[in-house]
Amino acid sequence: MSTQAHSKVRQLKAWLEDRTGLFGSLAALMNEPMPGGANVWRALGTVALLLVGVEFFTGALLAFYYAPSAATAWASTAFIEDQIWFGSLVRGVHSFGSVALIIVAGLHLLQMALFGAYKKPREATWVVGLFILLVLLGFALSGYGLPWDQSGFWAKLVETSILSTTPSVGPVLERILQGGSQYGNYTVVHFYAVHVFVLPALLVILLKLQIHFNRRHPAPAPWWMDKSVVAARTEPYFPGQALRDLLLFALALAIVVAFVVIKHGAPLEPPADPASNYVARPEWYAIPLYQLRMYFEGPLEIVATMIIPGIVGAVVVALPLLDRSPELSPARRPVVMLGMALGLVFTAALAVVFVRKDAQDEAYQKARKQVAAEGLRARALAKTGVLPTGGIDVYKNDPQFVVMSLFKEKCGNCHGLDGQGGDEGPEFFDYNSRAWILGFLKDPQGPMYMGPAKKTKGMKPVQGTEEELAALAETVYAQTGATDVKADLVKKAKDAGLFSDKDCDSCHYIDEDDKDLGNTGPNLFQRGTIDYVVRVIEAPDHEVLYGEKAKMPGFKGKLTPEQIRSLAEFIVGLKVVSKTSP
Amino acid sequence: MFTSMHHDAPERPDERRGFMRMVTGWLGAALGAIVTLPGLAFLAHPVRKDTVSGGKEPLDVQAMGVQVKPGVPVMVEVRGELKDAWMRSPDVKLGACWLVREKDHDPVKAFSTVCPHLGCGIEWAEKKHQFLCACHNSYFDLQGKVIEGPSPRGMDELDVKLSPEGRLKVAYRRFRLGSPKKEEA
Repeated sequence: MSTQAHSKVRQLKAWLEDRTGLFGSLAALMNEPMPGGANVWRALGTVALLLVGVEFFTGALLAFYYAPSAATAWASTAFIEDQIWFGSLVRGVHSFGSVALIIVAGLHLLQMALFGAYKKPREATWVVGLFILLVLLGFALSGYGLPWDQSGFWAKLVETSILSTTPSVGPVLERILQGGSQYGNYTVVHFYAVHVFVLPALLVILLKLQIHFNRRHPAPAPWWMDKSVVAARTEPYFPGQALRDLLLFALALAIVVAFVVIKHGAPLEPPADPASNYVARPEWYAIPLYQLRMYFEGPLEIVATMIIPGIVGAVVVALPLLDRSPELSPARRPVVMLGMALGLVFTAALAVVFVRKDAQDEAYQKARKQVAAEGLRARALAKTGVLPTGGIDVYKNDPQFVVMSLFKEKCGNCHGLDGQGGDEGPEFFDYNSRAWILGFLKDPQGPMYMGPAKKTKGMKPVQGTEEELAALAETVYAQTGATDVKADLVKKAKDAGLFSDKDCDSCHYIDEDDKDLGNTGPNLFQRGTIDYVVRVIEAPDHEVLYGEKAKMPGFKGKLTPEQIRSLAEFIVGLKVVSKTSP
Repeated sequence: MFTSMHHDAPERPDERRGFMRMVTGWLGAALGAIVTLPGLAFLAHPVRKDTVSGGKEPLDVQAMGVQVKPGVPVMVEVRGELKDAWMRSPDVKLGACWLVREKDHDPVKAFSTVCPHLGCGIEWAEKKHQFLCACHNSYFDLQGKVIEGPSPRGMDELDVKLSPEGRLKVAYRRFRLGSPKKEEA
C-alpha cells in the first residue's frame, strides 16, 4: 500500500472514530484495568456472558424451524432433530448449553460470595446477579416445555399447578400463563412468548445493569493479595484476562458438544399424551426442591414450594445488608461460610436422596426405558410427516395402526378382535389358539364363533370326551403352522380315526391330498395360515371354502392385495403371545 | 485491530505479549467460527432439501370431462396429500386450475391459475373472452398464450388424465415465476 493510500485509510478511520467513537470504546474495553492481574476466577462472569451469546444465537436459529402450538410443537421439534441439517447439533447445544450456563452463572455467584464481592459498595451488583440467575432459571423452565414432549408437558403441568396454589393470585396467574382454563395451543404459544421475547429483554436489561454496576464498583482483588501487590500486578483486560476467558469458554463449549455427541442430541421424548400415566420428574435444577416437597404433605406443601425457598431467597438477596463487615478473607467470615456450606450440603443431600431413590426404583427405571424406546419409535414414525391433528397422532403412521383402522372400517362391523365377540361373525382375538379351536368344536354356534352369523344350517357341536376333543382340536391347530404342535395328540386323533368318527369329514376336508376339494363346510387344510386367511378375505364363497353358504362378501378387487395381506397378517397375529410362543 | 489500539503496555517483554495477543485473537476468531458455521449450515437446509412436496400424481378434480363446454373455462380446485415440513396432510387445497376446451371434441386442457409473472391468481374476463391477471394486467387467450401485459410466458399447462369413467385428473405443479422458461419450482 502506498503511503498516500495509507493516509487515506487513516483519515477514514479518524472520521469513523469521530462520528461513532467505537474504536475508542473497544480500546477502553480491552484496556480495562484488572486489579491484581488476570485470574481464572474472574473468567466465570465472561464465560456466562459468552454462553448467553451462544443461547441467543442457537435460540434464534431454532426459531427458524420451530412452530409453537400444541399441535405443531412436537412434530416441528422432531423435524429439527431428525431432518434438518445440523438440527440435532444446534438443538443439542441450545439445550445442554443452557445447563452449562446455569452452572457457570451459579458458580460465578458462589465465587462472588466466597470472595466477598457482594459487600459494600457492590450491593446492587449482587442483587442484579441473583435476578439474572432467576431469569436464567425462567429460560430453562419455559424452554423445557416447548418441545411438548412427555417430560416437558408433564413437568409444566405440575409447575403451573404449583403456581396456582399461590395464595390469592395463583389461579389468575395460572390462567394467564397457560392461556386458558386448561392446557392447549395458547399454553405453548405463551411459554414461547415468555421464552423468546419477555425473558431475553429482561436479561439484556439486567446484564446491562450488571456491567454498569460492575464498572462503577469493580470486584475487589482476591483476599490473599496485599494492596501493594494488587497495584503492581494490575494489567489490562486484553490479552491476559481475555485469553483465560476464552480458554474457559472453549472448555465449557467442548463439554457441551461432548454431551450432545454422547447423548445423541438433546432428549426428545414421545409427544405429549394427556391420557398417559407418565411419571413426571422435575428438571435437574429443581430436584432439591422436589425432594424437599416430599417431607411436607397436604396443606403443608406450600412450606416446601413457597415458604422455605422464599426465606432462603430473601436471606441471600439481603446478604450484603446482613453481613456489613469489610472483611474479605473467608477464614474471618465464619458465619457466611458456614451458612453457604450448610446450604450447599443440604441441597446436595436432597438431590442425592432423590437420585438414589429413583435409581433403586425398578418400576421407574423400567418406565424410563419404555419412554426412551417409545420416543425413538415416535421419532421414526414422524419421518413420513405428522398429521395436522398434532404430535400424538404420529402413531397413526404406524403400519399396525393403519391395518387396525382398515380392519375397523372393513371387518369390524361383523367381527370382533378384543375378545368380546363379533356382531355378525366370529371373534378373531386369539383365533389361532387351541382354546379358540376347542371352544369352536364344543359350541360352534356360541357368541364367540358362528352364533352372531345366524346361519340356518350351521355346524353342530362335536360330541366326545375331553381327550377326543383335545386331540381333534390339536389336529386343526396343526394346520395353522404353529411350532408347538403336540404330535402325539395329532397321532392319537389319526389312529383313532376321530375326524371321520365324529362326522367331521362329512362336511370338511383336511388332508393335503384333498386341498382343492370343496364340501358343505370349508376345507380345513392349512386353516389359520396367512395364505388361508388371504383366500377367505378375497373370496369366502369359493367352493373350497364356504361356497354358497358364505355370508361374508369377498374383498378381491375392493382392497389391494397388499391391504388384504396386511389384514390377514393382522388377524393371524391377534393372539395371546404367552400361549402360542414356545 | 486490538493490537493497534493498545497504548500502555506494562513492563514485560513485548515479544511475549505480542504472541499472547495473537493467540488470543485467533482463539476468539476460531471459537466464533465454530459456533457460527454449523448455524449457517442449519439455516441453509431449505437450499439442500425441499420441505414442501405433494400433488405430483394426477388428482381427481371433481369434474367430468364432458362438463367443460367449448369456450367456457371452468375453475376447479386441486386437493391432495401435502407433505409440508413436519406435517403430512392427507387432503388439503394445493391450488386451482382452469379447465379449458377450445372446440367440440378437443381434449380438455388444464392451466394453473398461478400467473407466471409474479404469482397472482388468474381470472376469466367474461366480456373480453380472455384470461386476466388483474395484479399487473396480463391477458391470455384460451390456449394460454400471452396477448398483452408483463407476463414473460403463457399460462402454465398442467398434465391432464381422463379416467375410464371420464373423470378428470390433474397433476398439480408449481413453476418458477418471472422467467420466460417453464421450469418446475
